[in-house]
Amino acid sequence: MFENTLDCYAHSNHLKSTNTYFKVLFAILTMLVSLISTSPVVPLIIAFFMSFLIIFKAKISWKFYLKFFLFPFSFGLLTFVFMAIFFGVGTHVLELGIFNLAVTADGFNLGFLVFARMLGGFTCLAFLALTTPMTELFSVLKLVKIPKIVLELAMLMYRYIFVFLDEAINMYHAQETRLGYSSLKKSLKSMGMLGSNLFIRTWLKGEQAYIAMESRCYDGSMRTMREPESIKSMGTHNLALLILFEVSLITGVYITANFKIF
Amino acid sequence: MNIIKTNDITYNYPDGTEALKNVNFKAEEGKIVALLGPNGAGKSTLFLHFNGILRPSSGSILIDDEEINYHKKDLMKVRQKVGIVFQNPDDQLFAPTVIEDVAFGPMNLGLPREEVEKRVDESLKRVGMEEYKKKAPHHLSGGQKKRVAIAGILAMKPKIMVLDEPTSGLDPKGASQILRLLYDLNKEGMTIIISTHDVDLVPLYAYTVYIISEGKIIKKGSPKEVFEDIKTIRDANLRLPRIAHLMEILQKEDRLPFDKPYPLTIGEARRKLKDHLED
Repeated sequence: MFENTLDCYAHSNHLKSTNTYFKVLFAILTMLVSLISTSPVVPLIIAFFMSFLIIFKAKISWKFYLKFFLFPFSFGLLTFVFMAIFFGVGTHVLELGIFNLAVTADGFNLGFLVFARMLGGFTCLAFLALTTPMTELFSVLKLVKIPKIVLELAMLMYRYIFVFLDEAINMYHAQETRLGYSSLKKSLKSMGMLGSNLFIRTWLKGEQAYIAMESRCYDGSMRTMREPESIKSMGTHNLALLILFEVSLITGVYITANFKIF
Repeated sequence: MNIIKTNDITYNYPDGTEALKNVNFKAEEGKIVALLGPNGAGKSTLFLHFNGILRPSSGSILIDDEEINYHKKDLMKVRQKVGIVFQNPDDQLFAPTVIEDVAFGPMNLGLPREEVEKRVDESLKRVGMEEYKKKAPHHLSGGQKKRVAIAGILAMKPKIMVLDEPTSGLDPKGASQILRLLYDLNKEGMTIIISTHDVDLVPLYAYTVYIISEGKIIKKGSPKEVFEDIKTIRDANLRLPRIAHLMEILQKEDRLPFDKPYPLTIGEARRKLKDHLED
């Protein structure tokens, strides 16, 4: 079950045992660099580098990664096209010939920058999502003092997503077996039933889970045993590597600051 | 000594239906007690009374000769003493990792961290799941989840462990592993109460058997005594163990001299057959 989910990859990739703080800091700092860059060069380098890490270091199947990548990519492309046409004033670099529409240099540069930043940021997050199990992230969140109640809710939600996913899949198969999805009208109806049924199930399950927790002396607050590891567990070697990498990226940002395609 | 005793408890659901009717249930300390009954007979409802989750409409429950009084502090004590393992482990395992789930009970008891860690390690080892510490529950199989659920209760060091259908939904190997574990725990002095409708297994481990049907205890005694009353068993939508049923058929249809009481386990049947063939 769930072989093709992010969670499964997060638990079974080749970078799983790499220090969690290292991965989190690496992803977030790189994303920030990608965001502050004023030229599309560095974000694109970041996107390539991160994709390289994901496919060759973490050994995520490239087919899965491409599929995963396709959604933000197409969204980004759409944004790029619209910005190129509708944003900016000044010299026209390409006349479209209909409705007096034209691509302006200004708009093109801006659109491309947004597109590049988006890919850069997305690949950073993808790296984090595909290499770091949620269970590890919870302890990082604890360290940065996310309110306890939010964390508890997140933990419960994370656990029960899979319980309900399992139920939903079973219900879906059961409906399919009885031809519930053989036409559009039937599909809509079946989907609706599945949704409402699932809602009732969550209600009942919540009740059950509460009884089970009460049986283990639950008194309204979840105490977790694990103290978050110190950020020092990352090691000086990793820290040095990280700083070096980010500094060279920032230098890249500085050098290419005025780079423009048009 | 009876470690759990209920005096005439009756429980009504909010809509008024009687789920339990004057139930008198006793569990002797250090024994395995089986509660047999068809679906919807009230087994789970009765179990939830043992640790004060449900409060009887009338009657009282004694744990260790002390009546449950439903004050918050005392309830904590009762829940430490009486651990319940629920039928569906997905209801019980709520934490993102195995280790955090097992630590939940002892943390709630307010134990120091080192003690909690010790207990978590011990109980995971006990159920043979120590390698799965950091796994998420949804990456485990049904049998493994069940064992983690049991570890979560063991870590609270209860005197009594109550298990609702511990073998349901497990493959034969998984089921026998669980029973082996319960058997060992019982040998070390833990009182174990099991609800089940697996009549073949009951004679193997149970010291006392209760039969519950429609919220009433309709029979009580040793496995031998209970399964002698074939009519009551069948009226409660249960059946004889396969072995006993075979013996019954051999006697009634084939006129072989296997008289009541029918042997209930393979071992007993083997002895009886051997005796017969050697004569």
